Amino acid sequence: MRRSPDAPAYPIPSHVAFLHYGESEMRDAVFEFLLAGLERPNEALFCFGEPGVGERLLRYLESRVGRDLSPEYRAGRIVLGTADPDVDRQLENVIAPLEALSTSGFALVRFVGVVAWNVLDFPPPEDFLWFESKLNEVISGFPVIGLCPYDLARMPARAIVYGALETHPFVLSDGALRQNPQFIRPDRYLRERLLALPWLQDEGRARVQARDLRPGLPDGSGP
Amino acid sequence: MGGEDVGREALDFERGGIAVLDSAGNVTWTDDAWTADDNKGGLPRAPIGTNLLQAYRGHEDPRAQVVADGIVAVFEGKAMYFEIEHRASRESVRSFLTSVAALRGDGAGAVVIHKVVGVRAPHDPPHPVDVRSTSGAPIRIEIERLTPREREVLELMAAGLDNRAIAAKLRIQYSTVRGHVRSVIEKVGARSRLEAVARAYRNGWVAKE
Repeated sequence: MRRSPDAPAYPIPSHVAFLHYGESEMRDAVFEFLLAGLERPNEALFCFGEPGVGERLLRYLESRVGRDLSPEYRAGRIVLGTADPDVDRQLENVIAPLEALSTSGFALVRFVGVVAWNVLDFPPPEDFLWFESKLNEVISGFPVIGLCPYDLARMPARAIVYGALETHPFVLSDGALRQNPQFIRPDRYLRERLLALPWLQDEGRARVQARDLRPGLPDGSGP
Repeated sequence: MGGEDVGREALDFERGGIAVLDSAGNVTWTDDAWTADDNKGGLPRAPIGTNLLQAYRGHEDPRAQVVADGIVAVFEGKAMYFEIEHRASRESVRSFLTSVAALRGDGAGAVVIHKVVGVRAPHDPPHPVDVRSTSGAPIRIEIERLTPREREVLELMAAGLDNRAIAAKLRIQYSTVRGHVRSVIEKVGARSRLEAVARAYRNGWVAKE
């Protein structure tokens, strides 16, 4: 299996929001991204997401390359990480493997963190946004390219705006990697954006209440 | 069974109900469940034509005072919505959510809704908290329940530090910080780390730069 010749040139370290439509586009791009690392013995792969997501990515990678990758997994070159509703534990679930891979001497870690929004096994949306912003500080200490797939077909607009566009210095869409002018540095993001999230304000709560009182109303309120 | 136990049992039979208030706190409409629970203990269920705010203010149950604070906050426009999850005691079988939502329009008042949100099985451990607010209304009980160390941790959370950084700053174990953070989130009635921080800023529990 060969990589496409025009793969994006990711800075190292970098934190990239990958905007895609649907599962198949995500898998194709993630495959290209991970395959590039698989072909280089001094690079490691780190797949992260809701429970089972990392395993599914690994199975997909195996099916595309046509071989069993369990030797690489057992050797610690491929790491599968799991999200956690507790945001600080989720942060640890990323930091600890990055530290271990860095200590093992890998020149580069290709990290794929599949994004979810407002689901049971993931931190609440506001905590997840804090996590995404924090990742910029974390990643800056490691040789890592972090790719965060945001499914435009499934994610609500607020996840794209607050998450993909404001917490990632780079955006990958339609195969093109671009610097992201919407990015807000972590030291500003908390005060300027997170604390003003609409669903953390009373007004947002009033809308939630209105929806509860009148179940027929469309949900434009909650995260 | 002592008198206190009888009271708690009565509270645990408390059911849900809806009441509409005018802008002075007078009850103008209720559903059947609201009135069916009157005189069975628990939060007062003022009938139509009486004043719920006064009934709460005159009631000895501290939960009634907290809900009254929330109603006043809604009436004064400080909050569009207020809710508090509560139970009669740590051992209570049921927990309730009391919500107060502002009404708009002429003679706007508020809607008060009680509903049962949790029923603890007999073998489950007692609920860890008695009162949990989930609104921006000024509920002093929340911050006063924090220990000095928890307040310190809350300030560092508000500064954007993660648990590792907080542990390094305070020179304590990471696991200890985790415990403090969990406790802070629970005590201020937040569902998340960021909601606790947002509430801390909104209520002036931490200094704004």
